[in-house]
Amino acid sequence: MAGKNRKLITLQDMKKPQDVQLSAPDLNSYMKLPKPYDTVESQPALKEPKGSWTEKNITFLDGYAGIENLVRPETKEEERALVEKFLSGLEKILSDDTNRAMIQPLLLSLEYCAKCNTCSEACHIFEASGKNEIYRPIFRAEVLRRIAKNYLDKNRKLVRKWDENDPDLNWETIARLGELAYRCNLCRRCAQTCPLGLDNGLIAKEIRKIFSQEMGIAPKPLHEKGTMLQLKTGSTTGMTKPAFLDIIEFIEEDIEEKIGRKIKIPIDKKGADILLTHNAGEFMAWPQNPAAFAILFEEAGLDWTLSSEITGYDSVNYGIWYDDYQAKQIGTLQFKVARELGVKRIIIGECGHAHRAAAVSLDRSVTGEHYIPRESSLPLLWELTRTGKLKFDPSKNNFPVTLHDPCNYVRSMGIVKPQREILKVIAPMFREMTPHGVDNYCCGGGGGFAIMNSMNFAEFRNTVSTRKKFQQILNAFADTIDNPDIPKYICAPCSNCKGAIRDILEYYDATEKYNLQYDGLVELMVNALASMDRPYLEFLIEEEE
Amino acid sequence: MFLVVFLYIAFIAFIVFSLKKAAEFAKMPMHGRWELYPVPKEKGKGHYGGSYYEEVKWYEKKRETSLGAEIIDMMKEILFIKKLFDNQRPLWWLSYAMHLGIYLIIGWLVLLFIAFFISHPVFNVLITLCGAAGIILVMVGSGGLLIKRLVQEELKIYTTGQEYFNLAFLFVVAASGFLNWIIFDPALSYGHQLMKSLLTLTPFSAGPLLTVHLLLAGLVIIYIPLTKMSHYVGKFFTFHKVFWDNEPYLPGNEISVKVKEGMNYKPRGKWAALHYPGNQHEEK
Repeated sequence: MAGKNRKLITLQDMKKPQDVQLSAPDLNSYMKLPKPYDTVESQPALKEPKGSWTEKNITFLDGYAGIENLVRPETKEEERALVEKFLSGLEKILSDDTNRAMIQPLLLSLEYCAKCNTCSEACHIFEASGKNEIYRPIFRAEVLRRIAKNYLDKNRKLVRKWDENDPDLNWETIARLGELAYRCNLCRRCAQTCPLGLDNGLIAKEIRKIFSQEMGIAPKPLHEKGTMLQLKTGSTTGMTKPAFLDIIEFIEEDIEEKIGRKIKIPIDKKGADILLTHNAGEFMAWPQNPAAFAILFEEAGLDWTLSSEITGYDSVNYGIWYDDYQAKQIGTLQFKVARELGVKRIIIGECGHAHRAAAVSLDRSVTGEHYIPRESSLPLLWELTRTGKLKFDPSKNNFPVTLHDPCNYVRSMGIVKPQREILKVIAPMFREMTPHGVDNYCCGGGGGFAIMNSMNFAEFRNTVSTRKKFQQILNAFADTIDNPDIPKYICAPCSNCKGAIRDILEYYDATEKYNLQYDGLVELMVNALASMDRPYLEFLIEEEE
Repeated sequence: MFLVVFLYIAFIAFIVFSLKKAAEFAKMPMHGRWELYPVPKEKGKGHYGGSYYEEVKWYEKKRETSLGAEIIDMMKEILFIKKLFDNQRPLWWLSYAMHLGIYLIIGWLVLLFIAFFISHPVFNVLITLCGAAGIILVMVGSGGLLIKRLVQEELKIYTTGQEYFNLAFLFVVAASGFLNWIIFDPALSYGHQLMKSLLTLTPFSAGPLLTVHLLLAGLVIIYIPLTKMSHYVGKFFTFHKVFWDNEPYLPGNEISVKVKEGMNYKPRGKWAALHYPGNQHEEK
């Protein structure tokens, strides 16, 4: 049912002219948040979009725009080009020649949907938006399905050219569908509940692939400033090798200053047991995370190294969200770095999508001479904890802690227990979110959202896609939320999730007002190390000062 | 004799079309990994959604899977449509009624087959109950789903003409059987005669309503595998071959052999975006 005060949007509305915006942001319609954000007045007001992009980009879906180079055609020729390119991409996505890796799962998901709407109840974006019809998981899937039915034959070949008078398809439909592919976090919670095992997250991703692989249209932070930059410089942050080496030096100094230990972080150590890979965003935004890994690995006496080679110091692979070719190129380079270093295995740090990209997504495409064993850091950290190689004093973490489960390595890889076992040892006030584990909700930053900040997309993320996670966080700390003297720690062992959670806390001013803190798992582990004589977590250091 | 031959054709068509559908999916290229947890076959971990990735150096350890756990999970879904029960209870009542009705009608046919060889009065009561319950449940389920789709806005806007037709077709088949049962054959005794005719290839004599019912039933049997109502085929692939296929590539294993074969494939088509190799010149 459509949210209160909202007119029901139908599939046919997708082809309405560009001067008709299908839905508008409205805090009153959104899912209610728990206290102390339970009134609209307690939440930041929505901003009126400003700037030339509001006229140029595709804001006529829901008032938001996330794809910089998806713009309104200015001529009839441009309109035709947009639709025809989409149709040729559609044919390719449904071909076992050009989409071999996903044709079977995609066709299954397109063919068998019973429209039972079970997926809708599982989708955090649909729920958070107050059940806005356009965010229902089958909405975009059904738009795609109907275009395919009208334009492709039973062998999935294009049977006709687009006629601009086609009552069922116009450029506005395609443009809206492009934006709509970026209103799904690709978290696949919907697929978990589908009685037929269909996956609307996959369909959203495949629509993104049509736009990127055929039409050259993708959000800038994912493509131009993402995969393209990573292939050129080595990192999506633009960090070059000299810059990386500088940062490592800074981290070593910082460790010494902070905890009084002189640690030499191994770089490019040939034949090491472990190549530890980090999301480069950690070096820039959260250097305490790679520092914590270094402290733990050194304390446990592991034989490990970081790499300073191109793509070796950045584990991210945004390609898995929108472009198979980019994903494979990046994965190949990352595995090559490990092979050339002669390490025995790659251990993936706290980055969810890097886990999935390296361990799962590329498992059957970057192989043969490039093969290298890949593991998550979480089981290793649990083993170091369980066997006593790392000793803890849990009383140092004497504040409420909750755990966010990153979809990419929980729901899509089945890594559920190690992080919980560690928290049970190091955090006496650990409490789960509801639901958790493989039933978790996405942080709202998944599928690229965490890094998409241009135009007004950040507002969509902060008010809609992360809303369910914020609700879960507030509920997890309901017993202490009113007491700002008690720090409340959201443990988010994933860079993108951390980014999304950081943004929610900033947006709602929740750190300042209610002492909600966030960071990864390793920081919490270091803070509880028995051998440490001072706190490691920033907010505890500040508290002491 | 026409009815007997027609029903044989319908059964054979059902099997052939279903197998054809399965073969189409089976011969598709091995897909990239797209598993989704919980994966029930993960021994000792499936119940909470864990996997071998929770182990240090998992690639050096013996892969432990449980076929039993997978079958149990599968049976819960086949027999009870558990995911719908857990996540969409209001729809489950009607959907399950319809599916259970179909299972009961299949059971009715199996019992009639057995009864041809071993006849017993108690057995005959069971056969009648099974057939009658099957017809009622299919009728209630399909009719209820049809009405729900017609009146509930969020279902209505996604439902296509063919989807209405599918439900209506099932309803009409069940309703014609129901009317025949209520009006002409309270003991549903025609089943025994029909089974006898089918097994002995002798003519089956039916009144007009029963003839209509059997013709419609035959048609729906042929029609089901040609439509998305063949989800009994699709569901096997979505779960077993996609969500639960978490077999890793390890040098020398079966997956690695398939991957190597797949690498030899040279696509005929090419994506058009400029970042694809060889497309840059198109910009000039």
